[in-house]
Amino acid sequence: MDVSKLRNLAQPIGLLRAIGRGAHPLTMAALAVIVAGGGFTWLRAQQDQGTTTFRVKVDMVVLGFQVLDARGHYVNGLKPKDFRVTEDGIPQKPATFAEGSRPPVQVLENGETRPIPRTETASGGPGAVDAKIDPFSGTNVFVLFDTSNYMYRGFVYASDAITDFIRGLDRADSIAVYTYSRNLNRAVLLNRDRGEAIAGLRKAVAGDDSALYNCLLLTLRDAAKVTGRKVVIVFSNGPDNASMVAPDDVRAVAEDEGIPIYVISTNEVNKDPVSSGIFRRISGATGGKSYFAKTWQKQVEAFENIREDLGNSYTVTYYPQPNPNEGFRKITIEILTEEGKKYRVRARPGYRPQRGF
Amino acid sequence: MRLTYRRTPRSTCFSFATSVATSGILLALGLFTGAARADDLGADLAAQHAQLEERAHNSDSAEAQAALAAFLDRHRLPGSRDAFLRWASVERDPARKQLALRQAVLEDALDRKTEQLDDDLKAYRAAGGSDFTGRARRPEDVSVYSATTIPGPLSSFARMAALSPDSAPEDLLLALARNVVTNGYQAVAANEALEPTEYLKLLIRYVGQARELEQMAGTAHKIVIPSCDSGETGELLKVLGYRMRGSCGTDVVLETVNPTKAFLTVDSGFPLSQLEQDLRANRRFELPYAPTSIPVLYTADYWLGAVGRDKGNFIDAFLSEPSICRLYLGLAKLDRPTAAAMRKQATAQKLKIYAHVLDFYGSMFEIRNGAAVVPGSPKAWESLAGASPSNGAAFYEKLLATDDGWLASYYDAIARLNPNSPTTRYLLEPERLKRFYYALKGKVTTPGPARPVFRSSTDLMLLTTGLRIDPSGQPHIPGNLEVWRTLFIKHPHGKYDGKLTRAASSWRTPDDVLEALFALCRKVVENEPLKIFLALNDVDRRRPNPMSPALAQRLASGYRSGASQYQIFAGLPLLSEESIDKYLDLEPALNGIHDNLNRADSVGSVQALVGMFQILCRQGAIAPSDQDRTFSALLDPFLKARQPPEIFDAARAGVNLLFTAAHAPGAGSSQDRMVEVLAGLPVVNATPPSPGENFVRIFDAQRLIPLDTLFAVADRLGKSTGDTKAIANLNSQLARFEDVQSLRSSLSSAEKNLLALGYWSERHIEQERKLNLDSLVKNADKKDARGAMLPFLRDTLVGLLYVYYAPPGAQILLTNPLFVRNHDFIGTQSLPMAWHATELAGSGWPASAGGRLMGSLGGLPYILAEAEQNFLTPTREQALIWGDLVPQMIVNVTVPRWRNITPEQMRYVALQLRRGRDLVVAAAIDPAVEDQVLASLGHFAPPARVEHVADKLAAGDVLAAMSEILPSELFELGGDPALRTVAPDLASAEIAQLEATGGASLDRAHISLLFGTPKPTLTHSFQPELLSLRTFPTLMGYSSRILAETWESNNLYYAALADELGVPASQLDSYVPAWTRATIENIFATHLEDWPALLRSLHTTGDAIRQQQSGQRAVSNTGSF
Repeated sequence: MDVSKLRNLAQPIGLLRAIGRGAHPLTMAALAVIVAGGGFTWLRAQQDQGTTTFRVKVDMVVLGFQVLDARGHYVNGLKPKDFRVTEDGIPQKPATFAEGSRPPVQVLENGETRPIPRTETASGGPGAVDAKIDPFSGTNVFVLFDTSNYMYRGFVYASDAITDFIRGLDRADSIAVYTYSRNLNRAVLLNRDRGEAIAGLRKAVAGDDSALYNCLLLTLRDAAKVTGRKVVIVFSNGPDNASMVAPDDVRAVAEDEGIPIYVISTNEVNKDPVSSGIFRRISGATGGKSYFAKTWQKQVEAFENIREDLGNSYTVTYYPQPNPNEGFRKITIEILTEEGKKYRVRARPGYRPQRGF
Repeated sequence: MRLTYRRTPRSTCFSFATSVATSGILLALGLFTGAARADDLGADLAAQHAQLEERAHNSDSAEAQAALAAFLDRHRLPGSRDAFLRWASVERDPARKQLALRQAVLEDALDRKTEQLDDDLKAYRAAGGSDFTGRARRPEDVSVYSATTIPGPLSSFARMAALSPDSAPEDLLLALARNVVTNGYQAVAANEALEPTEYLKLLIRYVGQARELEQMAGTAHKIVIPSCDSGETGELLKVLGYRMRGSCGTDVVLETVNPTKAFLTVDSGFPLSQLEQDLRANRRFELPYAPTSIPVLYTADYWLGAVGRDKGNFIDAFLSEPSICRLYLGLAKLDRPTAAAMRKQATAQKLKIYAHVLDFYGSMFEIRNGAAVVPGSPKAWESLAGASPSNGAAFYEKLLATDDGWLASYYDAIARLNPNSPTTRYLLEPERLKRFYYALKGKVTTPGPARPVFRSSTDLMLLTTGLRIDPSGQPHIPGNLEVWRTLFIKHPHGKYDGKLTRAASSWRTPDDVLEALFALCRKVVENEPLKIFLALNDVDRRRPNPMSPALAQRLASGYRSGASQYQIFAGLPLLSEESIDKYLDLEPALNGIHDNLNRADSVGSVQALVGMFQILCRQGAIAPSDQDRTFSALLDPFLKARQPPEIFDAARAGVNLLFTAAHAPGAGSSQDRMVEVLAGLPVVNATPPSPGENFVRIFDAQRLIPLDTLFAVADRLGKSTGDTKAIANLNSQLARFEDVQSLRSSLSSAEKNLLALGYWSERHIEQERKLNLDSLVKNADKKDARGAMLPFLRDTLVGLLYVYYAPPGAQILLTNPLFVRNHDFIGTQSLPMAWHATELAGSGWPASAGGRLMGSLGGLPYILAEAEQNFLTPTREQALIWGDLVPQMIVNVTVPRWRNITPEQMRYVALQLRRGRDLVVAAAIDPAVEDQVLASLGHFAPPARVEHVADKLAAGDVLAAMSEILPSELFELGGDPALRTVAPDLASAEIAQLEATGGASLDRAHISLLFGTPKPTLTHSFQPELLSLRTFPTLMGYSSRILAETWESNNLYYAALADELGVPASQLDSYVPAWTRATIENIFATHLEDWPALLRSLHTTGDAIRQQQSGQRAVSNTGSF
């Protein structure tokens, strides 16, 4: 890796005169590459007009997407060499590639693939995946279930629909069940034990106010700590009367972390057009989808669609090429095959690189 | 030698310490404290331990043995008792030998090791120990509880009734009663009748379902489903509200058929999933299902009799008759002798009439030997109640019945005061006692203060608590009598009480003013003078010289518009009157800036600078002698500045003034220097993260422009020289800012219409977005860059304050990049907000821009905490973490910050708690000490709680007794001069040593400032302090906020915990925020007055932290302090 190029990635922010524990600032000035949880972080410090300036951090990008034909059917069986991923027009080199819940493969320079050794361990924290789980297989599914007063009447039916969904998940997938009203409740942490997930769901307690976007944010923060592909499925009636964060700020977090948000709203689309619009926007901008399913049958159907989506997704990871843009970086996925010109790709539109030290 | 580093396991005295809960807590803690750091601390302690062990092993010196014993004792490591005995065996100094043996005895008593205790007591006495003369009496059968049953398992009932299963069994019905009273019934419109709420309807439905299940369980108390296709399957599913989809076998899925019943099934936690799995496997399903026996005060029949029912089911009657619940609450708060006398005096049906008064104001009732123990003169109380306290029960019955509860509320407010305080002595003067009561009750006494769901005597409690007595023995009247006379007569705002207005002209003494204030306590409106009095009293409280009448007059007349700013003066007692006047002049002066945006920039900048000035004074960075001068100089330029460049210069001058006054580091950028003086030098990648690192991270997340960039751009452009680097920096920051704005561009028109962004906030942000840097550079000679930079400088200054007070986690500040910029200093034309209290606006989805703050920065710490509180995630489902308490607990962390605490000060606090604990242990084995300790405890705990402690001590269960005592109470016991006569122990010996060498740094004022908590409601100031008040109940208008302000235990507990774990004093500001967050997330309370839940959560968190450090699987010790 060409270290000198990294210096162009960041501009001084002049904020911090920092002393690392046991490290002199000048020592910190050297580039550090930290490999952690499947991604890595570049740290830089530089002396600038008497101020030590730290710059950060470009993680591995995990990009999940679906390819649909003109009729809206999933297109399967594409290979890494069939795609071209660019960021702000800069071509990216895929590091891994996976289809559906199959384990990812390493993408070589020539576009060929080979299996990758799995030595990663899961990270800790409340949202952490069980350490026994292979983080690269399947999808890490976080279900966020609205147990506020707004869901009071449909509470048990919703619980039935989610139970069916959990049962139907691919064996490789992991599931976490969170519930929310005014606060978040991590009912079941991420694991592959369906029985445990259902038992946790079946013990959900009805709450009071609804702080959907606060709790969605916390769920995304947990999901972001998990290695591998992940999605958040929100099951809600729509209203939010207690959140302090705006839907679009939460959406930005999901975009940046590469976590598609699926929303199943138990409200009718025309009953609450503002909520519906927000749901569409946050799901669309993150590569997910929203469903408006008032009846139990429609809810089951929506879950079925999500399951299909997960099973027919492609996942590409890459380490972004040097890019001076510190703001929103637009991602484009092109299908290089002749038929591909008729295909439509559903993916998040881009992300903002994280800043840190 | 390899040491196994484990802590002493002690038996838990709480039933709630389940492994499930603890594992969840550990996970939560792992997120914040960092296991690696805990290991570091453990390793440090282990190394010290090894060294001391080796020294003790290789030497027979008493010093070596003493050092090891003290170390084990301090860090709660196993073997301390043996170490004390080894020390005693080699100690030649008789006094020290006695001390070592005494510690061994205390250890035995704490651990309930009876045989060891006998042996060690003999050795102690043989060494000359003269206390511990007799074991406490054996427990008598004193229980006043019998048993009743509730249908089904307790866990399900507790879920449905929203009860914390962690509560002591005796408290379950108490908690249920409180829930039924506060949440069970609601008024029907235009009708006085009450109807059950949804909460109660569901609970009653659940009781029905549980009975059906009990029937299925039969006499064997077991629900059995032999197989999937058996007849019982359908029967059970019908009760549960489910049916099977698919045929028996792996296809079986349970789905809802009766949503009402199914809701109860899920909400009550029925093991539906297990049933489903057994059906799918065609396995036998068995579930023990029996009614649960729970303690009921007295007998079930007593309560049924209270509502005239000879027979019937107790729980049904309890749920359907809120009056029984109220009586239950009232009688449960009394100690045994008092309750027995009351029940003898009046039948349950009669007592029920005054149950609401007894519930709210009965907890301080105390009958001994038939007589009421009243504060002050019995005769005075006799004349008020119309019955002599010599017949306690008759007296209290009259007290309850008089004036619809006003007399009882008066009695309660006075009985809660420290009997030795000058205020109490003043109020208890017999004539005064009567005079003030007559003023309080007025002519129309209904509705009484106990009629609403919350006590409405809030102001009475605040007045009696906040009243100060001057050395002359007279109450302190801010300014002079004339000020208050004028206020009542001329009342510049609104209408005051007409009778008091007329009487004011004849006031001659402070008592006259007080009489009027007591009269105002009865009112819920038109009582502004009382609020003004309390605020000014607090402003005056710590001033070296009382405020002048002129200043008092000005503060009183400006109260309505500027009260939120008075916390500045209350927190900075060294400000001169000239400086205070200058600050008050700001409002009219800044109103002279006609452009709203410029005015907001000026208001925001000066308030932020004053906010930072307060922080630096609080932290001791600005010397007392410099405070007034700096404050005054800070304000001067703002009083004159009208144009944006002038305001920019004023703000910049303010920054430099703060640097000079705080002796900020000379080198480095302004931004770095500011971060360093406010939060300390950032330490990168520390675990837990250093406050400085958090500060920088949050500041950056808000897309704020560093001070230096702003100053450089303003300087260079002003001189037309240009500074490409600074401009490039600014451009880069603006690009990130613009990027945030693009998020909003996708809003639909409907959303834009609903967008709750404040009008002036939006204008402010728009103004910044429109900055054309290129044009500014090209026309540098024509346009003043300082004006263009002013809005950014305001945001940076306001942002520094926001970031300083950012609550642990800071999700809003890290997620909403415009949160600081959104602060609305303008408000509306009809309601200007610039100098009003800080308010929270725009929560909930219609505010698509997220919540924001408006008003002045006066209440910023509390409001930021209020905004952030819902991001905390309770470790237990259904946990009640109430909205007025949590922000205060967060403020207890974000304001004090523990900068400049010395190791000696932290150790001193830990030792005071340890001394308190040792006194409680000694009380268990020495009746003479017990009497002293309980008397001291009685200054903080009501008689019933003192009785509980006594019961547990008598039973020899010290840990259980400790579970009833707050850490703040242990701290007070440890420092109580009346208990200094008790024989010394290791802690008291070290306290004496520290006091001899520590000087003023260990005096009450210093310790109070460093380990106390801010009390913005009780003291009108964010200056931390320890007031050592009784824990307040919930009060109308404040809910549990004042309860939270009187809760002073957390920081004291954390100090002792840090001392035990080896956390350096210098790192408290890194650890305590995470501990506080965990403590809040562990609260599992039932109702708003459930303060024992706070104590439990504190102990649970402490145990989890210890466990995390030691790696031990099961540790629970609440008796460590």
